[in-house]
Amino acid sequence: MEIVFAGFGGQGVLTSGLIVAEMALEEGKNVTWMPAYGPTMRGGKAYSVVKYMDGVIGGPDMEEIDILVAMNGPSLEYTELLKDGGLLVVNSDAISDDEEIHLNADVVRVPCLTLAKEVSNPKGANIVAIGALLKRSGIFDFETAKEVMTGYFEEKGKGKYTEANEAALKKGWESV
Amino acid sequence: MKKMWKGNHAIAEAAMRAGCKFYAGYPITPQTEIPEYLSARMPELGRTCIQAENEMSAVYMILGAYSCGMRCMTSSSGPGISLKQEGLSYICAYYLPAVIVNVQRWGPGLGTLDSAQTDYLRDTRGGGNGDYRVIVLAPNSIQESIDLMYESFDIAEKYRNPVEIMSEAALGQMMEAVEFPEFKDREGELDWTYDGTNRPHGKLPDSEKSAAALAKYTKIAEEFQRWESYRTEDAEYVFVAFGLPSRTSRNAVDQLRANGEKVGLIRPITLWPFPIKAFEELGPQVKGLISVESTDTGQLIEDVALAAKKCKIDVPVYGLFSGLSISKTKAISEFYREVKSGQRKEVY
Repeated sequence: MEIVFAGFGGQGVLTSGLIVAEMALEEGKNVTWMPAYGPTMRGGKAYSVVKYMDGVIGGPDMEEIDILVAMNGPSLEYTELLKDGGLLVVNSDAISDDEEIHLNADVVRVPCLTLAKEVSNPKGANIVAIGALLKRSGIFDFETAKEVMTGYFEEKGKGKYTEANEAALKKGWESV
Repeated sequence: MKKMWKGNHAIAEAAMRAGCKFYAGYPITPQTEIPEYLSARMPELGRTCIQAENEMSAVYMILGAYSCGMRCMTSSSGPGISLKQEGLSYICAYYLPAVIVNVQRWGPGLGTLDSAQTDYLRDTRGGGNGDYRVIVLAPNSIQESIDLMYESFDIAEKYRNPVEIMSEAALGQMMEAVEFPEFKDREGELDWTYDGTNRPHGKLPDSEKSAAALAKYTKIAEEFQRWESYRTEDAEYVFVAFGLPSRTSRNAVDQLRANGEKVGLIRPITLWPFPIKAFEELGPQVKGLISVESTDTGQLIEDVALAAKKCKIDVPVYGLFSGLSISKTKAISEFYREVKSGQRKEVY
């Protein structure tokens, strides 16, 4: 399984990857997570690649993508590597619904930022996207996802955001 | 239970477990997480981490500390390791151990922040003035980064020679689930260190250094080659790759094998000494060797060609050079097909 989260620096695409990587680890898979970003903390292209499988994982970078989350317009360039029949989650707050996407893939448009704001968690747009992709792909169930995500943030000393993050995950899950 | 660790953090923690008491370094992407981690971790353990005023200063601190027998290390990326070469040359001149980590980034000059293997020739050939070698270990996973780092002080002290862990930007930045070994310290005493007495420090007169260097490096080359051979038994074409390109090459081997192609992989783990013995094991069915590396013009391929010559394997040696990226599995398989159908010209 190869999942790519792409967007601008600051949209949380590295963190999204880390959270999903932890879910795969929880299920006993071999996992790699690889970040790519420019020299700036905010803005600029950024992405993270999560790969997991039972066997030995090859290179950690994008090769043939099963699931692509495009948080902004430039991220759509990676659809080149999206497998036929793959899943593309589009952040429709950044990519207009008028933008036609012709792919042999399942394309879902989710207004990630709008939904995140609805649950008063404007920094949680990336988590909304995770919720949507998990529901649509069925790779991990909601309870596992919630537990792993909460554990991830608590370990980082960010336990006080647990409720807001769980609300964002649920919002994304219910949006598709 | 295994936990996800970033390559650079994992190498830093492994150094602590291996008994490293002193670190000196200077920040440079993509290795800065090493000193960043150690700056918090070493005071916790009652050890010393110094951000030196520059790279040269850091390497000379290592020279000084190790001459007194203290397990210590430095780290940098390609441009910083260039600045350390004078100190490394002195470390070798004095027959001292040292441990260095090079998290490579692409290019000459300042280069870029992209992952690459473009320091291969510099680091495996010594790099500074004079005739010496650095033992170079090339992990291809984060667990192996830990395991090799854990051994590196023992190796450096055994041979009284610097050991370099050659990592790559992506290997330093990526995360995998890993386990750490227990904390350890040096077993036994080094009998040559400066300890305030007049005991011999193993210093040699210049007239004896030439022969001693030859004896030392011949011995290391003979007894310290490490590699992994994968599906080479009946292989007609053999990829040679280390670090991250070895992982996509291994995938390519599996995919091509699934289509009936007889291919295999030699993955050098020691880059110096180069694992010539891996090539001795190849059978007479081999038709070509393919070096897969993240360089611009081909560096590893020189050692592949020399190893083939040494083992009397008279076949063409091809090179797939991916510059500032890692060759994708598909690209490697395609390159192989072009080699097989005669569309590619050999380099050696």
